[in-house]
Amino acid sequence: MRVLVIEDDLTAAGFVTKGLQEAGYVVDHAEDGQKGLDLALSEPYGVMVVDRMLPGLNGMAIVQQVREQDIGTPVLFLSALGDVEDRVDGLKAGGDDYLVKPFAMAELLARIEALTRRGKGGGEVTHLSVGDLELDILARKVMRQGQRVYLHPREFRLLEYLMRHAGQVVTRTMLLENVWEYHFDPQTNVIDVHISRLRQKIDKPFDSAILQTVRGAGYKLEPTD
Amino acid sequence: MPRIDRLIKTTTFRLALLYTALFAGSVGVLFIFVFINTNIFAERQVEAAIQTEVQSFQETYQRTGLTGLIQAINRRIDPNVRTDGIYLLTGADQVRVTGNLLSWPNNLTREDTVGDEIWVNFTIVDMQKAGPDTADVRALLFFIQGGYQLLVGRDIRDSREFRTQLLRSLNIGIGFTVALGVLGGFLFSRSIMGRVERITQTCRRIMRGDLSQRIEGSGTEDELARLSESVNEMLDQIERLMRGLREVSDNVAHDLRTPLNRLRARLEVAVSNAVDPKEKAELQEAIEEADGLLSTFSSLLRIARAEASLKRSFDVLSLGPIVENVADLYRPLAEDKDIAFNVDIDFGCNARGDSNLIAQTLANLTDNAVKYTPDGGSVHLHVCRDDNKAVFEISDTGSGIPPELHEKVFERLYRMESSRTSPGSGLGLSLVDAVVKSHGLKLKLSDNAPGLKVTLIFPDVAESGLPA
Repeated sequence: MRVLVIEDDLTAAGFVTKGLQEAGYVVDHAEDGQKGLDLALSEPYGVMVVDRMLPGLNGMAIVQQVREQDIGTPVLFLSALGDVEDRVDGLKAGGDDYLVKPFAMAELLARIEALTRRGKGGGEVTHLSVGDLELDILARKVMRQGQRVYLHPREFRLLEYLMRHAGQVVTRTMLLENVWEYHFDPQTNVIDVHISRLRQKIDKPFDSAILQTVRGAGYKLEPTD
Repeated sequence: MPRIDRLIKTTTFRLALLYTALFAGSVGVLFIFVFINTNIFAERQVEAAIQTEVQSFQETYQRTGLTGLIQAINRRIDPNVRTDGIYLLTGADQVRVTGNLLSWPNNLTREDTVGDEIWVNFTIVDMQKAGPDTADVRALLFFIQGGYQLLVGRDIRDSREFRTQLLRSLNIGIGFTVALGVLGGFLFSRSIMGRVERITQTCRRIMRGDLSQRIEGSGTEDELARLSESVNEMLDQIERLMRGLREVSDNVAHDLRTPLNRLRARLEVAVSNAVDPKEKAELQEAIEEADGLLSTFSSLLRIARAEASLKRSFDVLSLGPIVENVADLYRPLAEDKDIAFNVDIDFGCNARGDSNLIAQTLANLTDNAVKYTPDGGSVHLHVCRDDNKAVFEISDTGSGIPPELHEKVFERLYRMESSRTSPGSGLGLSLVDAVVKSHGLKLKLSDNAPGLKVTLIFPDVAESGLPA
């Protein structure tokens, strides 16, 4: 998959490019806004990673112009501005996700993966299944190996998010943003506690673990065979 | 009526009242002066008239003797001649000789003698007017040889009546003065208060972060209009400064975080290139240190911006779900420590603010409570309404904060001696403080015996001085 990175900071761009290439993406890099816009309008990309502050044309303007041309390529904003307002501005301008600098490569990869997979899903999903784990969104029912698992509403939402992104790495920040809708970092690592709770219910009573910890990145829901 | 109450408390009204009192006082003094002088003048006039008459009687007596005097008196009391004089000439043993009094008055009181004149006062029953009426008389007593006495007087009923009439008019006059003064003061202060109130309202809105507000002009060029103008100019300047600060902090965020970000990126690359597991672990630790530095830096920026809080608009938020969410986030953590975690929410509570900042404030407070409460303790979250104000209360059974440190814990990067070993940046409560200030909340720390109780009082949504 081709990824366009528009970033004026060459060190950061090198880091991002290298990381993405190692993960198997084909990366084009533009170091200013105008070049970035030209590439975005002429080449087909799977995902665009755009810095908000750029010399010449800023990131928001690029995305607005891209969207005006009816190009629906998922856009991930990178920014040093981390306020909710800035985030809202970015998403309003047509961005699909917003990542505040500094970030771990694993975080960026997890989000890009989430963005590219999301594009493919069509229609409302009411039933999710990963291996022997099944989740019925409408009936709010979870079964594993045919056995009913009882979850609290919040645990249900957590599991639902993990299942929607099955096989992908999901970071703690992504969970906080999507399950709790919090755009701040709680002082204590509360997410780990929630995950361990969930594990107690969906993994512990069964012979195989489905919720994996990915070191230095986050979590992944994947059946182990 | 709280409005009337407030009106009465205004400076304008008090000034108006003071002026009314001063004015009424001076009018009163003037009236008293006028009254006394008029009175004295009226009395003098009567006395002068009597003296002149007595003098003319004396002359008549010296010229024509007793017979001439009697004739003169009789001329005066001729029923065909209108007179307001009272005359009585008596012989020895006070037997009436002539005059318009039938007998020597029995209620005669002597006044202090002025020179050789003997003034007397008495009352008589006046039969001339319709129905019997008592008339007050002031008279001069005059002795003639041979035991004869002449009494020459005037009915002073009219002047007495004039006096009461005057007194009544003066009282009514003062009454009107006071009433008009109070009414004028009331109307005057209401109009001034309305304008001052508008300035106050605008200032409140500005204090809550909406710096774009300006005080409307009133179309006049008086002191208040000049004050409004100065305030507006001051606000322009503050807004410029705030914008400058915002730009600086944005630039600092960008300029300082970018190199830190690069450092982190390099470390991450180094980790992936490292083969030696020991080296890998050390580099991983370096990344964590960099993360800590970056997170402290972001927190400082966040606090600075929460304090400036140039939020475009604060929304009306239902506090219940926000607290429930935060409680949800921390409940498992509390349960892991065997802490009794009670949440008690009145869902009818609204507050105005930035939901993310308020959530973070409540999360920071809850985080602290759970962190500093020992295993087996309890944490209680409570949301209630007090007089239309939403109140959030969190109490724990931890080590608490000594009262002398209540102010200090909100300072940036401050950590209590006892908590230096536990994880944390010393910025959690600073963010709480910044949000408290920018949102106009009231924060109270108190002893939960044992532990700490934090009370956050949100302003009334209707009265928070922000546009709906």
